[in-house]
Amino acid sequence: MSASKPHFIHLRLSYLWAMLSLRSIEKSYPLAGNQLRVLKGIDLIIEQGEMVAIMGSSGSGKSTLLNVLGLLDNFDDGSYYLDDVDMSELSERQAARYRSRFLGFVFQSFNLIAFKSALENVALPLFYQKIPRRERQKRALAMLGRMGIADRAHHLPSELSGGQKQRVAMARALITTPRVILADEPTGALDSVTSNEVMDVLREVNGTGITVIIVTHEADIAARCDRTIRLKDGRIVEDGNSGEVVEPTAHGISPDAS
Amino acid sequence: MIFSRELWIEIGHTVIANPLRTALTGLSVGLGIFILVVMQGLGFGLQNGVQQDFEDEASNSLWIRTNRTTLPFRGRQANRSIELRNADKEILTEELFETPLHSARRMLWGSTIQAGNEEGRFGIVGVNEDYDQLESIPLISGRWLHQGDLAQSAKVVVIGQTIVDDLFKKRNPIGEYIRLRNITFRVIGTFSRSGSRWTNRMALIPITTLQGVFEGTDQVGRVIVSTGDRSVEEASAMASIADGALRMRHAVHPDDQRAVRVDDNNEEFAMTQRIFIGIRLFIWVIGGFTLFAGAIGVANIMSIVVKERTVEIGVRKALGATSGSIVTLIVVEAIALTSISGILGMIAGVLTLEFVAPFAEHDYFSNPAVNLNVTLTALGVLVLSGALSGLAPALRAVRIRPIEALRYE
Repeated sequence: MSASKPHFIHLRLSYLWAMLSLRSIEKSYPLAGNQLRVLKGIDLIIEQGEMVAIMGSSGSGKSTLLNVLGLLDNFDDGSYYLDDVDMSELSERQAARYRSRFLGFVFQSFNLIAFKSALENVALPLFYQKIPRRERQKRALAMLGRMGIADRAHHLPSELSGGQKQRVAMARALITTPRVILADEPTGALDSVTSNEVMDVLREVNGTGITVIIVTHEADIAARCDRTIRLKDGRIVEDGNSGEVVEPTAHGISPDAS
Repeated sequence: MIFSRELWIEIGHTVIANPLRTALTGLSVGLGIFILVVMQGLGFGLQNGVQQDFEDEASNSLWIRTNRTTLPFRGRQANRSIELRNADKEILTEELFETPLHSARRMLWGSTIQAGNEEGRFGIVGVNEDYDQLESIPLISGRWLHQGDLAQSAKVVVIGQTIVDDLFKKRNPIGEYIRLRNITFRVIGTFSRSGSRWTNRMALIPITTLQGVFEGTDQVGRVIVSTGDRSVEEASAMASIADGALRMRHAVHPDDQRAVRVDDNNEEFAMTQRIFIGIRLFIWVIGGFTLFAGAIGVANIMSIVVKERTVEIGVRKALGATSGSIVTLIVVEAIALTSISGILGMIAGVLTLEFVAPFAEHDYFSNPAVNLNVTLTALGVLVLSGALSGLAPALRAVRIRPIEALRYE
């Protein structure tokens, strides 16, 4: 999926190879007695191996969309197919299985478990795949090595820098070799140099065929993805190749306030 | 399904990595069980002590004694001396009612007793052959007084352990001759009653010998009468019959509390039983409250712990944990933590009792044993409350959507 791929091919193939397929997804939150509509009918198809940025200002619904994609949150209406399986009728146990086998998460606030060392944090997803402890440790150490922080394996999260924490979090997301990586503002808490390193890792991950979806409000992060989707008020307002599309101001959308 | 060993490693890790939480829960449970064990032990010791003191007297007996009158009656002055004599005892034991066992008991305190070159001052007590059963005198060696000794006013004596120790040292006193107030008696038996200092200083001889040799009267001192297998009510009726008959015979005012006294051990025993029930109830109430406080403490800590771990629960769910595995993790951790600290508290309590017991020996306190059943029940209650109080918030935490747990503040 190169950045210069013609748009019409993208559309055509997506119906055949869709990794994620959303149709008229609606979601509201109860707010002070009313319903706050966060997603107002999202139609979206993401193919296997794509690297997609979801942009938008705060309140645009971009994080909610990512949570719905990651089965961390439910939706009210519409349909969501992940690898051709309907996600709306999933039981709690099946959802856990999809999160375990199919999806990997990277969060802005890292969400490492504070009392576990880097190694144990990375190994934890394998615990839920019933992989023996020794094997878990071995794989986790190898994954930390790939992230270039094997020497920090036995440190607690509190003893790591922000960039190191995010590398641990990425190692944890990748340890199960998921099909889709969902990253919610992965560089939001990092300086620009570290942000670039994180994006290097995510690009490399994408190079192995894993679908990567990144929520961000930073244009330069989006620019490093293949495709950018822009959300405004719960609707997709732009969708295209990152290189061509969407200089925010050019379309009358003010740069992100946050 | 969960690999149990993996689960335990995960739990062990959580417990060790969160020392404050572990310490608080452990202290709450451990201290509760500790207090419960110690309270139970002390209460049991108190009960033991009082019971032992009571076991010395048969619970089914009447003790009849007389003294000077306090009230004038039928033309007689107050302060008149009333004595129980052979005739009174005969009426009590042969005319008024059936009784399986009875004995006189007349004491001569401060009596010099000599054996060879050794001598000391002890008590001489004249009794009947049933006396050993009425006051549970454990024979150590030789034989007890029998009917023949009384009929012949034999000069035979059964001596207490203190007299044996003082006068005979290590020698065997059976068959030896000793002098009671300068009159020679043959030792036929020895007895020892634990924890009763003055009983072991007594020399028991036939009442007939005491009357004939030392006093030349027919006074019997006190009369002890067994109530047999009568109920408490029947024994009480028997006591009032004895009381009435003696007042009649000796012209004693019905309200005179000192001149004639019939103490009913049945009633005293029943009263002591009521005291024991009171003590036991007291221990139970205190134990119950301790347990209750401990359970609330555990529940409180567990609910805080689960709240604290809500984000962690969200992370675990994002990493593929099922709700079941998270609930299992929390509940098994709660059970393990409460069990281990409860057992530690139990051990500490038992050790404390073991350590304290030797220093706390007293007439009304002995052998503060631990009631294992009670302790284990208490432990069970605390473990259960720990598990349940972990379960409720854990279920709540896994029921919400993962993203809510992740964003929990």
